[in-house]
Amino acid sequence: MNEAVVGTRIEREDGWGKVLGETHFPADVNRPGELYGAVLRSPHAHAHIRSVNVRAAAALPGVVGVFTAENVPHNAHGVLFRDQQVLVSECVRMVGDPIAAVAAETEKIAREAIARVEVDYEILPGLFDPEEAMKPDAPALHPDMHGPSNVLYHLPIRRGDMQAGWTKADVVVEKEYRTQMLDHAFLQPEAVLAYVDERGHLVVKVATQYAHYDRGEIAHALGLKYSQVRVKTMAVGGAFGGREDISLQIIAGLMAWTLRKPIKMENTRTESFLSHSKRHPMRLYYKTGATKDGKLVALEAKIIGDAGAYSSWSPNVVRKAAIHATGPYEIPNVQIDSYAVLTNNPYSGAMRAFGAAQPVLAYESQMDLLAEALGLSPLEMRLRNIFHVGSVTATGQMLTSSVGMAKCLQALTPYLATKGDAS
Amino acid sequence: MNIELRVNEQDFRLVVEPDERLLDVLRNRLGLIGTKEGCGEGECGACTILMDGKAVNSCLVLAAQAVGHELMTIEGVGDRLHPHPLQKSFVELGAVQCGFCTPGMILSAKALLDRNSQPSEEEIKEAMSGNLCRCTGYDKIVKAVQRAAEEVAR
Ligand code: FES
Ligand code: FES
Repeated sequence: MNEAVVGTRIEREDGWGKVLGETHFPADVNRPGELYGAVLRSPHAHAHIRSVNVRAAAALPGVVGVFTAENVPHNAHGVLFRDQQVLVSECVRMVGDPIAAVAAETEKIAREAIARVEVDYEILPGLFDPEEAMKPDAPALHPDMHGPSNVLYHLPIRRGDMQAGWTKADVVVEKEYRTQMLDHAFLQPEAVLAYVDERGHLVVKVATQYAHYDRGEIAHALGLKYSQVRVKTMAVGGAFGGREDISLQIIAGLMAWTLRKPIKMENTRTESFLSHSKRHPMRLYYKTGATKDGKLVALEAKIIGDAGAYSSWSPNVVRKAAIHATGPYEIPNVQIDSYAVLTNNPYSGAMRAFGAAQPVLAYESQMDLLAEALGLSPLEMRLRNIFHVGSVTATGQMLTSSVGMAKCLQALTPYLATKGDAS
Repeated sequence: MNIELRVNEQDFRLVVEPDERLLDVLRNRLGLIGTKEGCGEGECGACTILMDGKAVNSCLVLAAQAVGHELMTIEGVGDRLHPHPLQKSFVELGAVQCGFCTPGMILSAKALLDRNSQPSEEEIKEAMSGNLCRCTGYDKIVKAVQRAAEEVAR
């Protein structure tokens, strides 16, 4: 391996274009004769759509096409499960669900037309609390795709013997922790340019984390062959996980393919907030036991991740939360249950650390509380339990190399002695 | 309506809508796509340009209000052969990540250095406080402005 670059500063090759203002993000590209697209999104979190009337929208001068669910050949997409519709046909499951799309000569006309689409909603009570949504008698939000329960995913992890662990424990700390929903708020709102090129291929220019997957999803939804779809990744103005799911790609592609006209779409900041995934809010119930000399002996953790309205990456995210639930600490007896639960909240998906960030609040707070109860310094409490080469994690993985935690904490010790460590 | 705008030392005669934002005229009519839209409501600073040397959010200015003023966008700050010290320092110090905030950052910093060539760290942070970077490279951005100030002083 060439290690010469480590510790040196390499100029990014795209840096100059960016400081000179030359770089093209998707909102910066256009095609002659392009139309402008806009999307009508649901203001309700849970509703049944009785009817959608687009007549007034279509009659507006300058409107070229109005699209609803019936115009989408295969109306489904999603990274793990195709449980999200391109344009919702009957069941609105979250605020921001797309219902109709318009292509018009200008942005102004497109947005005016959207406001003229009449949707007859039967508003339904929403499920906003994941623990309510988990109950067996809660109404199922995706009966067809995910069955009668809103529990989308459950990962149990078992190691050792819990009873033996609690018997050995001299102190036990039991607490509940909650983390909040977060938006990536990447600085560049979603935008897309879609058109049919001179070879008859659908081209979609977009800022995406996942061009090959977008291509498959567009092809699937429109009933095209993969070879008929090209996705070109423009400069990506921040993503942080929030550009892993489909945003405007299929809607723009659908309109461009149907009308054989270039379609430009740009989300406002508000639309951006309404339409892309969020960081999972999690509830973490932790019970941790340690011996008098500060050795962890048992952990029982229940983690409930609010998946929101669609599955996106939820199973993978709550799986990762479970795998990281012990933190970087050796615990011989472990019982972890991690759940992803469907609700009518904005859907949760990938965001920096992908589920590994939330449990930190719980396991590190537990360490501080145990240290306090045992009269140890928080640093000492950690040093006595930290992973080393040879440690076995809760999932049974033997760590064989690159375990730098103890060394890292040791390096911090002088700093902690003066500033960071309350003791 | 007919207006004349002076942008990057060039004069343009344009027909615009009375309610057209300066941001849209720069991007859509003049093709100056280096000016970005992040929020459209004066929060993020991605649309920052200079108006008579002062940093303004072009999403909050109507094109018609810019008549008679000297405007500068990122395209007028420098080019590959003659980059501004800020453009150089941003690249060299890694102050650019996704780059969406970068033009606005550079223009806010330029407005500062043009009126105060030796700003303190506090003054830099104050001058850039209207520019958000969600890739959160603030530390490097401040250092890049300091480096550029040194170069301007030399
Ligand atoms: S786009 Fe003007 S301040 Fe954000
Ligand atoms: S570099 Fe991405 S927002 Fe600043």
